[in-house]
Amino acid sequence: MVTRNVNSLSLHEVNTYLRSTANGAPLEVNHADQLHGLAAGMKHGEIIINGDAGDYLGVLNAGATIRVTRDTGNYLADNMTNGTVIVDGNAGFGAAQYCYGGTVVIRGNAGDFTGTMNKGAVILINGDVGDDVGTYMLKGDLIVIGNAGDHFANYLIRGTIFLGGECRSLGHNTKLAPLNEDDLARLQGYFEKYGIQADPAKFKKFIAASEKPFYH
Amino acid sequence: MPIVGAFCVSINREICINAKMPGKCATCADVCPHNVYALDLANGEMNVQNFNACVGCRICAEFCPANAIRINPAEPEYYTRYPWTFSTIEEIHYKAQTGEYMLRGFGTTGQTPNFDMITVVPSQIASPSPRDKYREECDMEVIIGEDTCEQPMVLKQPFVWPAMSFGALSKEAKLALAIAAAQTGIATNTGEGGLLPEEVWLSHGYSDSRATKRTWDPGGYVVIQWSTGRWGVSADYLNAGDAVEVKIGQGAKPGMGGHLLGAKVTEEVSRVRGVPVGSDALSPCRYYDVQSLDDIKHMVAFIRDVTDNQKPILFKLGPSRPYADVAACIEAGADAISLDGLVGGTGCSPDAVTQGVGIPTIACIPPAVQALKDHGVHHKVKLIALGGIRNGLDAYKALALGADAVGFGSAAEVALGCRVCYACHKGNCPYGITSQKPEFRSRLDPVEGGRRLANFIHACSEEVKILTMLSGHVSIKELSPEDLRAMDLNTAAMTGLKLVGYDRSLPMWENGYAVQQGGGNGHN
Repeated sequence: MVTRNVNSLSLHEVNTYLRSTANGAPLEVNHADQLHGLAAGMKHGEIIINGDAGDYLGVLNAGATIRVTRDTGNYLADNMTNGTVIVDGNAGFGAAQYCYGGTVVIRGNAGDFTGTMNKGAVILINGDVGDDVGTYMLKGDLIVIGNAGDHFANYLIRGTIFLGGECRSLGHNTKLAPLNEDDLARLQGYFEKYGIQADPAKFKKFIAASEKPFYH
Repeated sequence: MPIVGAFCVSINREICINAKMPGKCATCADVCPHNVYALDLANGEMNVQNFNACVGCRICAEFCPANAIRINPAEPEYYTRYPWTFSTIEEIHYKAQTGEYMLRGFGTTGQTPNFDMITVVPSQIASPSPRDKYREECDMEVIIGEDTCEQPMVLKQPFVWPAMSFGALSKEAKLALAIAAAQTGIATNTGEGGLLPEEVWLSHGYSDSRATKRTWDPGGYVVIQWSTGRWGVSADYLNAGDAVEVKIGQGAKPGMGGHLLGAKVTEEVSRVRGVPVGSDALSPCRYYDVQSLDDIKHMVAFIRDVTDNQKPILFKLGPSRPYADVAACIEAGADAISLDGLVGGTGCSPDAVTQGVGIPTIACIPPAVQALKDHGVHHKVKLIALGGIRNGLDAYKALALGADAVGFGSAAEVALGCRVCYACHKGNCPYGITSQKPEFRSRLDPVEGGRRLANFIHACSEEVKILTMLSGHVSIKELSPEDLRAMDLNTAAMTGLKLVGYDRSLPMWENGYAVQQGGGNGHN
């Protein structure tokens, strides 16, 4: 394990170091909360960020495993295409937006617009989420263990959204669907893999009311 | 104005093959993508069954073996019943029947302030002598990102192909643009529809990915667009091109995201964009992952980081508050700013937005230039003027107003064969430019299209050279508003140019744009 304090380095210096070093043993990074865009575009390696992290953590991640021991700012794992991002605390506004693939696990709560335009990632939130979560999702799984705010699963096109608690209101073009065996097995697999205590059978499943919603 | 009912279709039955020999020819019905013609199967006669459906693309006239078809604008209607033209009446009927608003492709119609009322001031005895276009050199080069990145873009001519996406355009049209960029040393742009792999090597001048010798010299560039829909975007995508353009807005529909109707979402487009085949792909109007200018700065920082400070970063703006918006782009760290005007083109947009939203290009450039000057970066951060630029004369005027380069978007489509029928959104472009249908796409050969586009650029380049040199300059960098005059009060008022006859700027411009506008920061 290599540990490095990065409070005196620029974003490009830190990310260049991470990209060139993150091949073998996990890298630990301390004092990184002032950097926005940390671990951008990583293709491999394992990075542990001790403490809080700033905005755009793991943006464009293409294969690295990134773990944050406390909270993150806004836009966590933005536009990720592959890899895993795990946050032990809470995530701010717009976590896991525009993701094409990979897995995002938030053990605490997440803010508004989480999972917007998800295009294939698996997004797990162990706590509650804000408003407009799952907006314009096109592919992938979004699982909220706790409660959700307004316009949940708004403008869903494809993919599946699971909700363990309640939502204040549902968004446009989304409907409740019965859980099937595949859903239960998939949820059970996620929960076991990431150590989440929840009963898949108690979840509500939302899918798109229409793949071709009327826009005009 | 909508397009319905704007054209009269007439068949000269004296020479029409079908009229003389019923059933022997049905070319017009075969090629018309809008079902204007119908062959009467009982007697073999060709009839015009639906005048209103004609959009004026003239593909029937082009294919008619007897040259028997004429398509004429129904102009008298506009004069005799204006403002209740036949088109307006049809539009109201359409809305009343369907409850839907009108959509349109291509761009704005009708009269809007443009470059026509600006004239070029030639050099005579009181100013530096004219330069000899035929025997002297003229510097046309534009460098983007010279001081900020490792691999700046060196455009051989002050032109770019603006962002036009795969999806809005056919693959063949996209490849033609890339080939022409290579032949002329300019840049093509992915638009927001993802990158076709061929675009990379074709724009660099190579005929295939393994070629080691250029087929087309001098080789050009491909700009990768980072947009609000983020279609097909990854770290590799950003690194595949020569520059990254952050799209904020566009001229045809500022304040709205890209529209790609289901008719154009084929298997291939679906693979790139991730939307189901046949489903409308409407991009968000804003970045969901941006809430402030600080976020934009962070975005620029991580794009520079992911591209290892190698590539220039451009911003694309719609025509809103040019001074303040350009100032914000400068603050965010732009290397170049593409500023699109009111008549900027589009694959699809709500009619009301394309027609009625935004600022004309000629009125966008002066405040944008003032913002660049006020920040001390005029000609360092490059200004690329877009929107309704049709030829070298328009381009020269934009450059003299203070832009560093111009983009030919709609003009590029016309150079490829487009007849401006305003129906790009329907996916039935008979020239294969904005259609995804194989039967139409097969009519457009990318290499021939590239040749036409390159010819167009060469011709426009020569026009800019002529005008630059007759104004007494040997470089486009020497051009200034002093090389222009406004020919009417409106143009003088909008641009700050000296008015012909009066030979001064209008009094409201005497202290410059920024002072008149309270430093340009009071726009919000």
